[in-house]
Amino acid sequence: MRHARHESRKQYWVIWLYLLFLTLAEVGAANISSLSRIWVVSALLLLAVVKAALVGLFYMHLAHETNVLKWTVVIPMASPVLYAFVLIAEARWRLL
Amino acid sequence: MRASAIAVAADEHRRDERPLPPDADFGDATPGKIGMWIFLLSDATMFAGLLLAYGVLRGGSEVWRPPGQPELGINFTAGLTFLLICSSVTMVLGYVALTEGDRRTSVRLLLLTALGGILFLCGQYHEYFGIWHPGLSEQGLGFGSSAYASTFYVTTGFHGAHVLSGVVLLLLTALAVGRGKADVHDVEAVGLFWHFVDLVWILVFTLIYLIPE
Repeated sequence: MRHARHESRKQYWVIWLYLLFLTLAEVGAANISSLSRIWVVSALLLLAVVKAALVGLFYMHLAHETNVLKWTVVIPMASPVLYAFVLIAEARWRLL
Repeated sequence: MRASAIAVAADEHRRDERPLPPDADFGDATPGKIGMWIFLLSDATMFAGLLLAYGVLRGGSEVWRPPGQPELGINFTAGLTFLLICSSVTMVLGYVALTEGDRRTSVRLLLLTALGGILFLCGQYHEYFGIWHPGLSEQGLGFGSSAYASTFYVTTGFHGAHVLSGVVLLLLTALAVGRGKADVHDVEAVGLFWHFVDLVWILVFTLIYLIPE
């Protein structure tokens, strides 16, 4: 059991390193001026989703929960993305 | 008579420390943990509402940042992001320490987590009002001066209120753990709240600060 907790401690530090690295990658991506805006925004959104997933799965222990609890959390958390896509696209369309 | 019978039953219930049998759908997640998740999901919808309003306003504007209003500082805020990530790791290590029965280390790590939150709030105060150089409010970013300014203050301010609540919760929990009045389940529930505050900040940082014009 103690060994398992030692392993989990190590895993928490590895996740911390990933989060640090991904934050640096975000700052780097935001400062790239040679890429077109759509690529920069896509990269930033992808990095944010990966970081949020790492926090949810490992620090909030969702990876160790049952599938019912996982979906209970993921569906309401992810559905605003759909509304956002529709509403922001509509707002941009009215500008055209 | 009836009220006192209920009080006795409630007291006995609190003393009953037998673990609940694993649930077919939720495994060995405690009712407290499921309750915290339900709270976090309702809280997430509030943040989703704010971020959606921001997205629609920004998406529907020709020029998002009005001329003369300052840009948001990415590097300083990346430092604040790093601070919250560090406080998430001390939080989860505090939980692990308590699962091993090490109350003293757990209390220290919970206090360190609260310190991370306090430093984050100091950073946010500096960003708004300025401590060692003029803050955004002194550089022309007044609340209500533009949609750019208002969505920034409302969203980051609402998040800051969560950090403040988290700090209070962490200090109270550290006190309770030190006195032997909080167990691993209590610390795990507070940890869920704290990590949620970190998770939301990851999204706020990307959407409000990093998305280029």
